[in-house]
Amino acid sequence: MSNQPDRSDLRNLQDKTAIVGVGTTEFGAIYRDLDPERSAYELGLIAFREALKDAGLRRTDVDGVIVSRLPHYGRMCEMIGLRHPRFVNVLPGEGRQSGIALQYAALAVANGMADVVACIYGNNGRSAGAKYGGENRGISTQAMFEAPYGMTSPGAVTSMMFRRHQYRYGTTTEPLGHLAISNRANAALNPNAVMQRPITMDDYHGARYIAEPLCLLDYCLINDGGVCFIVTSAERARDLKHTPVLIHATSQASDITPVYVADDFWYEPMSQLADDLFAISDAQREDLAFAQLYDNFTPTMLFTLEGMGFCEPGEGGDWIAPERIGLHGELPLNTGGGHTSESYMQGWALHVEAVRQLRQECGDRQVDDAQFGLYACAAPLATGHILKRDN
Amino acid sequence: MTTESQAPGLSYEKPLPPMLELTKPFWDGCREGVLQIQFCNICDLPWFPPAEACPRCLQDDWEWRPISGHGTVWSWIRMWQKYFPGWSPDEYPYTVALIKLEEGPYMYSTLVEIDDKDVSCDLAVEVDFRKVNDEITLPVFRPANG
Repeated sequence: MSNQPDRSDLRNLQDKTAIVGVGTTEFGAIYRDLDPERSAYELGLIAFREALKDAGLRRTDVDGVIVSRLPHYGRMCEMIGLRHPRFVNVLPGEGRQSGIALQYAALAVANGMADVVACIYGNNGRSAGAKYGGENRGISTQAMFEAPYGMTSPGAVTSMMFRRHQYRYGTTTEPLGHLAISNRANAALNPNAVMQRPITMDDYHGARYIAEPLCLLDYCLINDGGVCFIVTSAERARDLKHTPVLIHATSQASDITPVYVADDFWYEPMSQLADDLFAISDAQREDLAFAQLYDNFTPTMLFTLEGMGFCEPGEGGDWIAPERIGLHGELPLNTGGGHTSESYMQGWALHVEAVRQLRQECGDRQVDDAQFGLYACAAPLATGHILKRDN
Repeated sequence: MTTESQAPGLSYEKPLPPMLELTKPFWDGCREGVLQIQFCNICDLPWFPPAEACPRCLQDDWEWRPISGHGTVWSWIRMWQKYFPGWSPDEYPYTVALIKLEEGPYMYSTLVEIDDKDVSCDLAVEVDFRKVNDEITLPVFRPANG
């Protein structure tokens, strides 16, 4: 590609803002209690209340609100009594948006459009009967040119990409099993996780197929929950309760095609993202205490590891070894259990886990020397941040 | 050549595409056994799925042109999950393939005249057609001759 802009301007946002409060609903408890009347707003409200308490802020300190998956900002602001916010936006309920919510909040705060931004997510998908497949209404490409063949669901497109990866590089499903098992082992140490019973490679290989070659244990959960994180300036953050978690480096990249899949497994956007982050960060790959990688389906983690240069393209299958990705390994992955075991909060809970790890609040699943941590999401719209514990 | 995909009189419950002014020529072509996609008259770019303008020129000076019907299997899956009504229990798992057309664009479809055990990525395929009703004939792909 030609005429690449000078991405070092990403430094303008470096360490200017911080996450100062995080909150979630109780994922496990809510999973066991299906409630068709549960609203996404109620879940967002609970998370917001928890995040405020965590930050030691008052409701009236908040002057910016970004909501996602919640259909309308108005109802959320009304429910939390915010009549005159200065900065408001709504992001769609797709996983790519969680990192973007944090980016907008950081941009708004760093540029004076708001002092304290609450990013709020609510998802009542399980109670509402969401299947994440089988849609064929309207005049979408999906309805016109995919559904007639029974093609549907994000899992099926990821499975298409993984099959191609198998063909091109000889990758087996074994590394996907390692990812699923590792997520579950971490979730077993996370009292808030939905799935806590450890699984084995036999369990993995015995699980039923959904869109073959992917099986049930490659898939995210479907569960209800809410998540909130609160962002303010680094300066203000230093007067608050917790050690600030700084937004140290953040960027976006993309590969938008009509069929969702990318024939390079998103290598181009993910390598661009890695270049952006590591060019301006004080931390390089070996300095990261953990990586929270978007895992709607396990192959997405493999594509992320390759694309971001933790290993060469095609070598992800060999690189993913239990001793490397576990809590005390070279790069602990999805330390709270990820989407396959903790909670499917579309990236939002991965952000919360990153913050808690950097604050060293994670008890039995706490990783060592958590100074820098990575969040990354491989998708047509890719996002990544390096978060940093303030000293 | 089109083939009847089921006996007359049986109701067809799988999803069917809505017919739009924009997409009607695609389905008209399929009914006649011709696979066609849009091409820009200015820069000759082909694209699929249909859109109102050339994604490169951004102009609406385009036309439907028949394409070779040849391509390769970029990838494929076997769908086990029952997301849609219309597939009978003995049709599971069914195959969905993502075809890379010789002209460049990609197209989701299914494979016919081949066992799953013989399918591989990069398999050369050619279009065939399966009539669903008087309006809709679906393009499908089979192993290319030779």
